[in-house]
Amino acid sequence: MLLPRLQSPLRAAITSIARSGQSSSLNDAFAQLAIRSPVLTFVRHASHAQQGAVNKAKDGPGKRLGAKKSGEQYVIPGNIIFRQRGTHWFPGENCAMGRDHTIYATESGYVKYYKDPETHPKRQYIGVVFERAQVLPLPRNSMRRRKLNMVATKMETPPKVEGVQVRTDLVEGVGGKKGVVSVKQGLGKERRGEEGRDLTIRPGYMYREANWEIGRAAERAKVKVREFKPRDRWTAWRKAWKRQITVKEKRIVGRRK
Amino acid sequence: MSACQKAARPLTRCLQNTKSLPQATRAVRTFTSSSRQNEEVVVESTKAPKVWDPETVTSRKGEKVLMRSGVMPIGSRRRRAAIQSSDNIPFEQLPYQCFQEALQVLREDRTEKLEQIKVERLRISNLMAQDASKIKGGEVQKEKRLDSMRRYLEKLKIEADINDPLIKKRFEDGEGDMNKPIYRYLADKQWRKYQRLVVVQRINQLSVVPDVLPHFEPTADVRLAFRTRSVQHGEFIDSRVSEVPARLKVQVFDKGERLVSIVVVDSDVPLAESENFTSRCHYLATNIPLSPVINSIPLSKISTESVVVPWLPPFAQKGSPYHRYSVFVLQQKAGETLNVGELKEKVQQEGFALRSFRDKYSLDPIGMSIFRSEWDEGTAGVMERAGIEGADIEFKRKKVVALKPKQKARGWEARHSSTKYRQLWR
Repeated sequence: MLLPRLQSPLRAAITSIARSGQSSSLNDAFAQLAIRSPVLTFVRHASHAQQGAVNKAKDGPGKRLGAKKSGEQYVIPGNIIFRQRGTHWFPGENCAMGRDHTIYATESGYVKYYKDPETHPKRQYIGVVFERAQVLPLPRNSMRRRKLNMVATKMETPPKVEGVQVRTDLVEGVGGKKGVVSVKQGLGKERRGEEGRDLTIRPGYMYREANWEIGRAAERAKVKVREFKPRDRWTAWRKAWKRQITVKEKRIVGRRK
Repeated sequence: MSACQKAARPLTRCLQNTKSLPQATRAVRTFTSSSRQNEEVVVESTKAPKVWDPETVTSRKGEKVLMRSGVMPIGSRRRRAAIQSSDNIPFEQLPYQCFQEALQVLREDRTEKLEQIKVERLRISNLMAQDASKIKGGEVQKEKRLDSMRRYLEKLKIEADINDPLIKKRFEDGEGDMNKPIYRYLADKQWRKYQRLVVVQRINQLSVVPDVLPHFEPTADVRLAFRTRSVQHGEFIDSRVSEVPARLKVQVFDKGERLVSIVVVDSDVPLAESENFTSRCHYLATNIPLSPVINSIPLSKISTESVVVPWLPPFAQKGSPYHRYSVFVLQQKAGETLNVGELKEKVQQEGFALRSFRDKYSLDPIGMSIFRSEWDEGTAGVMERAGIEGADIEFKRKKVVALKPKQKARGWEARHSSTKYRQLWR
């Protein structure tokens, strides 16, 4: 690119040197050698980026941030109190912060906006108090205010006192269900551990036992599994050995076919 | 293992075996192993049960046997294995020149420190003998100076021993005598490095500090256990496990015997009527002697004269949020005993406030441990055995009333809400 451009001025310079002969000084010759091409002069033109947010701040739609509940307004758990980008406000008493820094209530009560210089000198907090007259922040080292939010009810089925009774209860529970369509598995002999299974229709239109009953199947069948000991290499080796043998046998059988 | 090591292995084995045999047979026996020796070993092992040495046991089985008998094997397994085959030269006689010279330097430093201790003791006794009126600041200044001198003396005592490798070894082997300041100092340092941080973290995380006490800085190590089950701070404990009184191990790091009170508080007793929580005292005993050496306090073995509130097994009613049971060790003022009879009348079990109890009897909380409990299968049985009512009460969450009325169904939901689409209902 550069060479062909250079060629013409160079040629001119050389011819001039030749024309001048020995009479002109060397300095003149070098001065004429200097490159003076209009193509190679760097000129800075006025430029302006055409894309991006350079010309004018592009104002998008508003994100509806800000306070959704004012001070002393009544809120219930889950109510959003403040929407924000970043943490202008921090969650205080009975409040929590969502994954986009939204502050929401975890208890029902009255919203309080406050500062707590003893926990943090610069932060501002949003809290919820149970009674309107209560003040935040709490005095240092005073007991937390808590609310039970629960009702004491009589249990529908009284609790079982542990002991031998537990097992009999379970058996009763299996047999004594009322108003539920149950199907006994037919077709002759039942498999070991599946005796007396009580199959009822369950969500998903399946006749099956409850999950806890399935979980007890091994216990019913009196299957005993040796307890797994993580460092018992001897048992592990024996198991692996047995497995290898069976795999080998299977392979041999497969080959015969 | 290299080839030559492999080749030499039977020989080294044989050497090790001969070491354990009595001297007489060893003198006769040469390096070659014989069948006779093997026979002997077999006969011996069948007859006498093996006695494991905590210094040299390396097998898992041996360790287990020892630990069950209440003796902890000393040091690491690697160290014990090394001791088995070493010729047990006493530590300070190890034949290394550099080591010996270093020991010499330490010994000189120690004698210097001992001299300083002697001087400091003399200065203290001199000051004690002086009349307070002759000293510039009077009685106050005298006490101040004595206090600072005593602290300096304690510091010197620790500095005299802190560099001794044998003391370090004895401490790490768990043979340190807690009556001596250096071992107390080392134990305290070790406790502060990990255990104390854990306790302080649990105190803050579980809000023990604003809820039970306004301030608390633990200075004693408290370990909690039920029967053989040791409890980490803040652990959830099955109600059947905590039915029996706990065992406490309280290690104090300052000298002297003192009397302590022990309080177990549940700070999460639900009150359904007032929709609030209150606290309950599950155990209270006073005037229990405690010192750096006497550090075991089994609550079940405490004499009835000092028990104010006997152990009430922890129970959490069904549905109620977890209960925090904090076990506090409160140090009584020196030389003061609390009147148990008076306490029995005055202490209210329900609504027990540790803050006011501490203030009233001027007690100083020195250590705490905490465990939590929730409703489990055993709780009903535990409550029945302890004669506590209310096992059939279940706490259920109150329904939150919405602020706005429910919106009418729209769109797809409205179209499919008729009985025609009953099978879609859930």
